Amino acid sequence: MHWRRLLKVLHRDIGYLAVGLTIIYAVSGVAVNHISDWNPNYRIEKTTLKLDSIPYQLSKDEMVNFILNTLNITDEVKNSFRPSPNELEIFLEGKTIHVNYQTKEATIEKVNPRFLIKETNDLHLNKVKGAWTYIADVFSVSLIFLAISGLFLLKGKNGITGRGAWLTVIGFAIPIIYLLIYYMINN
Amino acid sequence: MKKLFIFLFVFLAITSNLFAQNGKKYGNKITLKEKTSISAIQENPEKYVGKTVLVEGLIVDVCEKRGCWIEIASDKEFEKIRFKVDDGVIVFPMEIKGEIVLAEGIVEKLTFTKEQLIEQGIHQAEEHGTTFDPNSVTKGKTTYRLKGLGTVVK
Repeated sequence: MHWRRLLKVLHRDIGYLAVGLTIIYAVSGVAVNHISDWNPNYRIEKTTLKLDSIPYQLSKDEMVNFILNTLNITDEVKNSFRPSPNELEIFLEGKTIHVNYQTKEATIEKVNPRFLIKETNDLHLNKVKGAWTYIADVFSVSLIFLAISGLFLLKGKNGITGRGAWLTVIGFAIPIIYLLIYYMINN
Repeated sequence: MKKLFIFLFVFLAITSNLFAQNGKKYGNKITLKEKTSISAIQENPEKYVGKTVLVEGLIVDVCEKRGCWIEIASDKEFEKIRFKVDDGVIVFPMEIKGEIVLAEGIVEKLTFTKEQLIEQGIHQAEEHGTTFDPNSVTKGKTTYRLKGLGTVVK
C-alpha cells in the first residue's frame, strides 16, 4: 500500500476512535477554563431562613435535633460541628446547614453535581486515576498522530507544500506570539 | 466489529477493576501508624513544622471548585486544620463533607502579610458568595496547615 493511502486509512480509523474522547475533553476544557466564573462540578443552592429563637442552653446534639425539627428536615444526620461558640454546622447527605446563633439564621446549602459536565471533568482531570491514566496517554498520542498525519493527507496547492503550510505556521504562531507578548508585559 | 466491542468491554472491565483504587482513598497510601491529635499540633505547631503526621477527624469543609483542600475538625471544640493538596493531584468531592477522614500530611507554616490576607478574604468571599470587609484585617498572621499526601475517608 502506498504510504499516503495507509496514512489516510489510519487517520480515518483513529479519528473515528478519538471522536468520543475529543468531545469529552473539549466540553470539560471549556468548563474548567472558566473556573473563575463558575463551579464546573457542582451547582450549589443556598437558602437562608430566619429562626424565631435559639435555645442556647441546649447541648450540641439537642441543638441539632431542635434545628432539624424547626426546619422540618427529616434527612439522616451524618455529623455536626461547632466552628465557633456562636455557630453550628449540621452535615446531611448532600446538604449542610449552617446555623448562626447571633443572627438567628440557618443557611441550607444543597450540593448538586452538574450532570455529565462533572463526569467529563472527572475524566479530563483524571480524578478516576488507575487505568484511565494510560487510556488518556494513548488518547494524547493518538491526537499527536492525527495532527501530524493530517498535514500529509492532501497533495497539491491545498496540501502542506501550499496553503496548508501557511495555515500550519499561523497555528504555531498564535500561541508563540501570545506567550512572547505575555512575557514582555509581565517581566 | 461485534467481537471488537466485546473485547473492549471485557478489557475495560478488567483494567478498571485491576487498577481502580478504593473509592474512599485519595492520594498516596498512608504510611504512618501512630496518629497525632490536631489539638496537639495547634497547641505547639512549631514542634511539628516539616514533620509528617497522621491525623483523624471530621471533614467540615471542602474546596468547592477544585477539590484541592479539606478542613478537618480538631478533637477540641472550635478548632480545625486545613489539609491542602496541589491542584489536580487529589480532587476531593464535596460529597465527603461530614465524613471522618484519616489524613497524612506534612505540617507547613504559612506567613501572610495584611495585603495577602485581604486578597484571600476577597477571593474566598467571591467563591462562597458572601461578603468580606477588608477593614476587618488589621495585621498579617501566621497559620499552620498540612501539605496533603494521602487520605482514607471512612
